Amino acid sequence: MVSDTQKLIISPSPHLKSKETVSSAMRDVFIALIPVAAVAVYFYHAYAIFLIGVCLVTAVLTELLFKKLSKKKPAIHDWSALLTGLFVAMLFPATTPWWKAAIATFIAVGIAKELMGGMGWNRFNPALFGRVALIILAPLFAFVDEWFAPLAVRLGAVDVVTQATPLAMLNAGMEMPALGQLFVAFPGGALSEVSPLALLIGAAYLFFRKHITWHIPVSMLAAVAILTLIAGQNPLYHLFTGGIMIGAFFMATDWVTSPFTDRGKLLFGACIGILVVIFRLGLSPTEGVAFSILIMNAFVPYIDKVMRRPSFSEPKKQAQAS
Amino acid sequence: MEVKTFQGGAHIPHYKSYTEDKPITRLSPPKEVIIPLLQHMGAPCEPLVKEGDKVEIGQKIGDSEELFSAPVHASVSGTVKEVGKRTVPTGGEDDCIVIEADDGPQEFEMKQIRDPENVDLEEYRKCVREGGLTGMGGAALPTHVQVKYNEKVDTLLLNGAECEPFLTCDHRIMVEKTAELVKGAELMMNSIGAKRTLFGIEVNKPDAIEAINEVIKDRDDMEVVSLAVKYPQGFKSHLIKAATGRDVPRGARSAELGCIVRNVGTTVASYEACIYGKPLIERVITVSGPKVTKPGNYMVKIGTPVGHILNECGVEDIENHKVVIGGPMTGLAQPHLDVPVVKSSTGVIVLPPEMTREWMEYADCVRCDKCVEHCPMMLYPNQISIYAEANMYDEAEEWDLMDCIECGICSYVCPAARPIVHWVQRAKPEIQKRQRSRK
Repeated sequence: MVSDTQKLIISPSPHLKSKETVSSAMRDVFIALIPVAAVAVYFYHAYAIFLIGVCLVTAVLTELLFKKLSKKKPAIHDWSALLTGLFVAMLFPATTPWWKAAIATFIAVGIAKELMGGMGWNRFNPALFGRVALIILAPLFAFVDEWFAPLAVRLGAVDVVTQATPLAMLNAGMEMPALGQLFVAFPGGALSEVSPLALLIGAAYLFFRKHITWHIPVSMLAAVAILTLIAGQNPLYHLFTGGIMIGAFFMATDWVTSPFTDRGKLLFGACIGILVVIFRLGLSPTEGVAFSILIMNAFVPYIDKVMRRPSFSEPKKQAQAS
Repeated sequence: MEVKTFQGGAHIPHYKSYTEDKPITRLSPPKEVIIPLLQHMGAPCEPLVKEGDKVEIGQKIGDSEELFSAPVHASVSGTVKEVGKRTVPTGGEDDCIVIEADDGPQEFEMKQIRDPENVDLEEYRKCVREGGLTGMGGAALPTHVQVKYNEKVDTLLLNGAECEPFLTCDHRIMVEKTAELVKGAELMMNSIGAKRTLFGIEVNKPDAIEAINEVIKDRDDMEVVSLAVKYPQGFKSHLIKAATGRDVPRGARSAELGCIVRNVGTTVASYEACIYGKPLIERVITVSGPKVTKPGNYMVKIGTPVGHILNECGVEDIENHKVVIGGPMTGLAQPHLDVPVVKSSTGVIVLPPEMTREWMEYADCVRCDKCVEHCPMMLYPNQISIYAEANMYDEAEEWDLMDCIECGICSYVCPAARPIVHWVQRAKPEIQKRQRSRK
């Protein structure tokens, strides 16, 4: 027998809710980065582990601090801060002094995300913002490096850290390693640059879990491939070096900082690809991907506006005329 | 087989296996029925009886002089216990007639009063009005307003999509009352003056498609349109778009669309009103949910309290559950068990916490675009929700909030668990007020 002593829940429709949550999605992106992180650890051993650790800890502490300042409930369990921390770590070379990585993480989580109003309100990709802030603030680090120098952590010798990155080799016109090797795993550059294959495995997982769609990566990579081909270079070397892969599949596809619609996403990705090629062939040889994505982040509200689709109820004038 | 559909929408688990094979059975009559005087969109009825009056099953107990109204009838024989305010399934309290049932048999006698092969259409329209027919699929418009002759309407579109999860009442009606449905469709089509009748049915009901095809195989003015299984396929505008290819601009009237949509249950009920003189005093309701011991499709008297239905269907524990009248996507969660089912109640669905996930706290929009991807109205629920949450109604209107059909897909898919539909419902009257003051 049912009786009125039992408590019924009343709330607005719909009364069904899908399983998906923001934290499960963030956790999935974290999982998707594990293959490339593992390859980085394989090459850089303790350096990679230490760098990732520093960024994760800084990210969590930063979120706690800013939530306290803004009197909001901390939400470490939503994986957002941890994910930003991991992203920042993946954007730095393994031997980066830890204080630089920590400051970048602080800027990413604290300024680029929390001060903007928290997750959802940030206009720029937080991890890229933190990374680029460090490049722009480089002169400042002449002093900071001096202060912190005694605190540098030495984790033993790793020979692969000193060699030129594939992207630098490409730009210097040096003889390149075999494409296959570059694709599978090749040391050099930021942690995320060691293995396009590992990034693709992670991206496949995100695609399978429906967290990303093909539009941004495909249009971005296609733009890079076509333009470098026109410039008379081998597009594959461009695709497999530097930050293009992590940029296309993990950074440009960030929910918060990419356009709403499929058409908007195609335009957004293509513009990033064009900017990347301009950076690579004409301007700074490194960090072109980070700058390109951040520049296009700024255009997202505009893209959303001009690419707005008509409502289902919008009268179709042409159809009536014909 | 060609399968038609519309853009957008989502595949929501449909949970129909609980009841889709359960034949329609009669639910035992309750001791008391609560009959709201307003069960349709339009003007409420005035009571025709008072406390202490004896009433017979099928007797008219409320009516109105207004055009946009439909009378209500006693669904049991008994004594009027009260005319007063009771909780109604659409929310809040409203005027109701409460009837205490006699001990005697409580079945309406089905005696043929007209020859189905020779019906005067003017009489048919009168029967539809006098029988208190209203839309039985959700939007409860008085049916008599919609069966008038209209030379601009060429198509009668019968809605058998039944896209809401759990619900199978229309499915069973199509399978079990196929002959009455087709006869009813013919009457309705002739009354409107339409040239053809389309039956729009989702392909997850192959037995219904087959049954109707069998009955109409010799007719060239009737056709089954197979529709993809996708929510909200059964919403009027999307059904029209999918079945006829016609666009449905905002505010368009049936005449402009050349198409009138009717629910299959309404069609059968109109037929019975005309041929047997049976008013709308009972309807098929799907009672379902993972913890309902005897889920099924029941013929239930209008005005039956939800508590009686749940007890008859072996529901024990409803602590922290939601009891929804209607489908789980658009129906209303009920505050207690004395709420009656009415003419437009399609189901009584008991949802456990693991389905409603009420424990999820909503967060800020993370712009994942899942709502944009699935919105069948091609809106931007993410933008609309941000503006509506902040009471920024001009901006919300600019993003076409008023076009929202409240199908609930956006809230269902939202990983941040944002109550988007709730905010839309809150914003609509405010925006309407502003629109009126602008004129």
